Amino acid sequence: MSSRDTLETDTRVVDAPDVPREIPETENATESPRGQVLDDPDRRREESAEARQRAEGNWDERPFKVDREELGRFDLKRAGLPDMSIDAAAKYVEEHRASRPWLAMTDRASPEARRIIAAMDAAGGHAHIRHEGWVTEEANRRRVTCREDPAQLDPDKRSLSIDGLRPSDKRHRCADIATRITDPDAFATAFTRAVEHPKMRKALDMAFSATDKPETVSVPIEDLLGPDGYKCCTGWQLKPVDGSKETAYDKRNAWVDVRAKGAKPDTGEPQAAPVPTFEGGLMTFLFTGNETERRYEIVTMCPEPPGDRRRES
Amino acid sequence: MPAFYWERHPDGPFATLIAVATSYLHPEIDDVDSLKRFAESEDNQKARVFKSELREALRDPSKLPPGELFASVQYEDGSPEAFLQHLWHELYGDETP
Repeated sequence: MSSRDTLETDTRVVDAPDVPREIPETENATESPRGQVLDDPDRRREESAEARQRAEGNWDERPFKVDREELGRFDLKRAGLPDMSIDAAAKYVEEHRASRPWLAMTDRASPEARRIIAAMDAAGGHAHIRHEGWVTEEANRRRVTCREDPAQLDPDKRSLSIDGLRPSDKRHRCADIATRITDPDAFATAFTRAVEHPKMRKALDMAFSATDKPETVSVPIEDLLGPDGYKCCTGWQLKPVDGSKETAYDKRNAWVDVRAKGAKPDTGEPQAAPVPTFEGGLMTFLFTGNETERRYEIVTMCPEPPGDRRRES
Repeated sequence: MPAFYWERHPDGPFATLIAVATSYLHPEIDDVDSLKRFAESEDNQKARVFKSELREALRDPSKLPPGELFASVQYEDGSPEAFLQHLWHELYGDETP
């Protein structure tokens, strides 16, 4: 049993040391990690996106202060999820890790959060696939600029904006913003607390109909993650074009259409910037019906920054 | 303040249209097939109100609360008029609005 498998203490540590490590000259003779980053375009883009998010967003990379007992007490059936023990969740993750790589993010999670995320995965929701720590900052940036779906595992299809979860190679949709919760324990905490929120209970407990479903619900991030919880949320939003968010959105979609048809867009790649802050923001929840179980379930959840997003015209 | 138009204005014009469209067509779910099943459920009072409000909005899109439909649905049709026409055709085919 690892130290993360006990309830007594949260033993995670930040991977990065506080001070730069002294590198012996013999190591310099090969290649430094920094050099590897600079030589690898993909890693360079990842580093760049993370650096921008740190500088321009509210991201606090320190681990979320999780209440593991609270997560351990959570009854998965309250969210319509399959019952799963901590051991069964660990087994599920190992068995599906290769085909469902987003499960790797549970390596950073407490066992109690891993149980919840594994159950969400088994149930077929996609919140943890598109709005959690498996999605890197660069992946989120590309989601909003190029409508590249982080859930699409085929790089060629991803670059054509083909959705990774919907059938028939449908075009992936993305709003003018793409967001995530960066810490798996925070993600599981937000989910479990939301399930007990009165607005959410009203939706989840609605009498089932195969031709209806609950309306979209939003809950303040602060209610779910506490006053500093917003710092676990990051996102990217399209940069206005000619001073207009709507023009940026329309031009982004036109750019994606051209590229998806195999042509070269005659304008540059759409641009995005980190969401400055999620303080005062909301968590949005969408529902779907489970006809077999005759109940409603959360199909996805995503953080939204504060502010008015109505279209100007 | 509640995020959504139908929460801020539960009795406001087009509250059902905007709420239903969001539930099914929000970019994070985008489930037009389920919306079609909803629209076909004529025994459902909400579905009848939805159709009535969609028809009214098509007749005079200027009556829609400004920006609210786009804020929730983020349609890709460029304008609320184009989106509503597209939506009507998807759900009700050639039936006259």
